[in-house]
Amino acid sequence: MASSDESTSGETLGREALAYADTLYNLARYLTGSPTDAEDLVQDTYARALKSARQFTPGTNLKAWLFRILRNSFISRYRHERHNPIVGGLDTVDPTAQGPDRQEWLRDDLELDRLRHVVGEEIERALMTLSEDARTVVLLDLEGLSEVEVAQVVGCAVGTVKSRLARARAALRLTLKDYTRKATR
Amino acid sequence: MTCQDARPLLLAFQRGQLAAEPRGAIEAHIQDCAACAHEAAAEQLLTEALEHRLPQHAAPIALKRRLLAEWPAETRRASSWWHRWGRSFVPALAVAAGLLVAVPVYYQWDAGSRTPGMVTEAVNDHLRILSSQHPLDIESGGMHQVKPWFQGRLDFAPVVPFLGDAEFPLRGGAVGYYLERKAAVFVFTRRLHEISLFVFRAAGLPWPTTGRQAVGGARATITTSRGFNVILWREGELGYALVSDVDVPELSQLAAKLAGGA
Repeated sequence: MASSDESTSGETLGREALAYADTLYNLARYLTGSPTDAEDLVQDTYARALKSARQFTPGTNLKAWLFRILRNSFISRYRHERHNPIVGGLDTVDPTAQGPDRQEWLRDDLELDRLRHVVGEEIERALMTLSEDARTVVLLDLEGLSEVEVAQVVGCAVGTVKSRLARARAALRLTLKDYTRKATR
Repeated sequence: MTCQDARPLLLAFQRGQLAAEPRGAIEAHIQDCAACAHEAAAEQLLTEALEHRLPQHAAPIALKRRLLAEWPAETRRASSWWHRWGRSFVPALAVAAGLLVAVPVYYQWDAGSRTPGMVTEAVNDHLRILSSQHPLDIESGGMHQVKPWFQGRLDFAPVVPFLGDAEFPLRGGAVGYYLERKAAVFVFTRRLHEISLFVFRAAGLPWPTTGRQAVGGARATITTSRGFNVILWREGELGYALVSDVDVPELSQLAAKLAGGA
């Protein structure tokens, strides 16, 4: 009976893991910025997942588990080779730089209206200006992971996830504001 | 509640994650505070932009097929894992294989007969053009007229260096499908024979790696199926299938022109 249960959970795990190929590839694309690297990263992620399948706890979030493997794989394989737009993570961004400028923007209905009309390419470009840590948090949040799950994926405290997400979103808005300013010049 | 209290909670508020008390406090604060109302609006707009407009990249079918192909090998190497999990993955892999690779597997090369699914598809598509009463979307006034016609109709630009000549005049073009993907179709003629050229994205198809020969500037596979000759080659990201009942030397002559070697 135990063997049957194990078999059933294994089947479920395999089926569900494959179903996340698109989601994992999307995250990999935004982490690596390259279709080829993203394919390698996803392939490596599945290989690692299979090797460590025993460590997966049935009933927990498989997607979050796969994301953690992907991110660890990314760090070990790619991060040291790449130049990051914000070296050291978004936590190094000076928060005071967003002060009066942000207030001015938020109070400006015209800017809000422009934000309504930003296109996908601009959002993608803005996202790619963030550090890998910040990008990861934004993307995992978009995937519907809870703050606790995001914290487990990136290996930090829940409070850090909250602050990183808030700063990343603020940075995105500032970048998008710059795009809209340039577009209207 | 102050602005300093409200700002960090806006996202959780918009996602319905707050308990009744703080939710009510924030609602009341936003009613009274224009700055926080703007902040909430901006956060909401950013969420909408990310959720609805950020491009989502789907994994290429070739990657999915590769994952399925490599997993069994992986499990054989990791024997301890295999005993515990691997065998139970097989039914799941089979189901997923059916979903993800049914089409590519169907079109894989038949090594015994050397008649590949890609050839079969090319012949079928050529026959559809021959039997259609209106096979061409655009009648040719020359390649310079036909190629621009594809703009906006395909998600790639068909690279065709040969414009047609007196020996192989270009009749016209159409948008078609080749192995479940969009293709640019060019129809040339040779005396009374029609020749179809399909140009399509090459990725994810079971291209042969042996038995190829030089045709113009390309390494091509020449096959005969049901009385039709088919020449297949790829150049960069694009694949080419040339099909006709004209004999192989003449078809190769056109292929060489199309592949930029003549």
